[in-house]
Amino acid sequence: MTTAQIRFATLWRREVNRFMKIKKQTLGAPLLETFLYIMVFGAALGSRIKELHGIEYILFVIPGLIMMAFSTNAFANNSASILQQKFQGAIQDQLSSPASPMELLLAFSLGGFVRGLTVATLTFVVSTVLVGMPVDHVLVLVPSLFLVGFFFAQLGVLTGVRAEQFDDVAFIQTFVLQPLIFLGGVFYSAALLPQPFETLTRFNPLYYMINLVRYGFVGFTEVSIPLSLLALAGATAVLFSVNLRLFARGYKLRA
Amino acid sequence: MREQALHIESLEKRYPNGVEALRGVSLDIAPGKLFGLLGPNGAGKSTLIHCTTGLAQPTGGAIQVFGHDATGNYGDARQAVGLAPQEPNLDWFLTVAETLDYHAGYFGMAKAARRERTDELLETFSLTEKRDERTRTLSGGMKRRLILARAMMHRPRLLILDEPTAGVDVELRLELWHYVQRINQEGTTILLTTHYLEEAEQLCDRIAFINEGQIVGEGTSAELAARYGVASLEDAYLALVGRKELSRSHAEVTAS
Repeated sequence: MTTAQIRFATLWRREVNRFMKIKKQTLGAPLLETFLYIMVFGAALGSRIKELHGIEYILFVIPGLIMMAFSTNAFANNSASILQQKFQGAIQDQLSSPASPMELLLAFSLGGFVRGLTVATLTFVVSTVLVGMPVDHVLVLVPSLFLVGFFFAQLGVLTGVRAEQFDDVAFIQTFVLQPLIFLGGVFYSAALLPQPFETLTRFNPLYYMINLVRYGFVGFTEVSIPLSLLALAGATAVLFSVNLRLFARGYKLRA
Repeated sequence: MREQALHIESLEKRYPNGVEALRGVSLDIAPGKLFGLLGPNGAGKSTLIHCTTGLAQPTGGAIQVFGHDATGNYGDARQAVGLAPQEPNLDWFLTVAETLDYHAGYFGMAKAARRERTDELLETFSLTEKRDERTRTLSGGMKRRLILARAMMHRPRLLILDEPTAGVDVELRLELWHYVQRINQEGTTILLTTHYLEEAEQLCDRIAFINEGQIVGEGTSAELAARYGVASLEDAYLALVGRKELSRSHAEVTAS
């Protein structure tokens, strides 16, 4: 391995090691939460609702839960890791190393991405065992999940860099992301909503992400897949560029 | 001109709140020297160090470490510098050994070399028994040892010690002095900031006074005393900060 490869691998390993050291909180808790959603919406509500758009209700809900697990974990990991290291001053060790802004940003991003991917994969495995989760369009599912994970990893980095206290991270998580995810159609179809809520849902970017992932798993969507993929790829690229610029400037990282 | 270990030219740092921490600082440290930087709190010592190590971004001037630019294309310059900061900045999640291993990884050291160097420094700093303990469980003195060991992990050619003995007991202070002198004799250039004048006097080849963001005097301990027309480095320092009345010789004269 070259010096740069060793450096990048170490930066990334540190991020993964951090969440693995507290895996009850970072992997166990989100898995339990997802499992509880499956129980409540599958076993309890599912017995009443049966089907949505010809798809068994629990199978309709699980893609949204997998997307939610990926996104919230990618976001939470990166925002918490960066803020915590800023708070302790420990981030100075990475910042005073020869690592470039690109290496630092990618390593921080991939930490959350891996955590999100781990929780999403375990949720998928459990869902497959419990309810036989299908994968209808793997060529849409894989890039969609990759982009969703990377988008939220970037959002987590941005939030962690900007945050000055833990409240700043909690605010975004509780008052921005959570409502957008819950109102983005994880548990229902927007077509069932009365106006103006159906139209309002179409202004929610999470609605398109949920539909992408749902289409990948069960083949049902209410939005254009190519357009949604393109928009998500564009938004992820813009967010990545913004973060790279912040890292290069040292915004709220270097004095 | 001979290549300097650290070459700083007209360095300026103005913080967003308008505070001018550094106002045209120029400084040269020759390879192999043990150089002391003294000044009162808020004089600009830590800002100068942060600019050199990438923790602060200068607003003007230039910094070179062994001829490599330390601000723009900083890779080679950073590779040559080790920093032991004033405030303990250890990662609470890591063990003692991991702290050293990750740091070396950031500087591109291969696994076998990291392992060997970790063992060596844990032994040197009497931390071997603590190697698997999380850093947050360490005492203040242990943390200080670990920070110094971490700064040394990648064998830097320029070691920057920002008040390394602040708040440590006498035993550890003397231990650190011995270690610093030894690695300096082995060829490592050292930039030391300290509030302990006897420490600077005993350890440093040359000393610079910094005050209000400017270098106001530089030389050996004797040269600085002569420049201020006083008998000791301590009196020269007191003259610099405008507190001559605190001088011990002044007190003796008053008492007699």
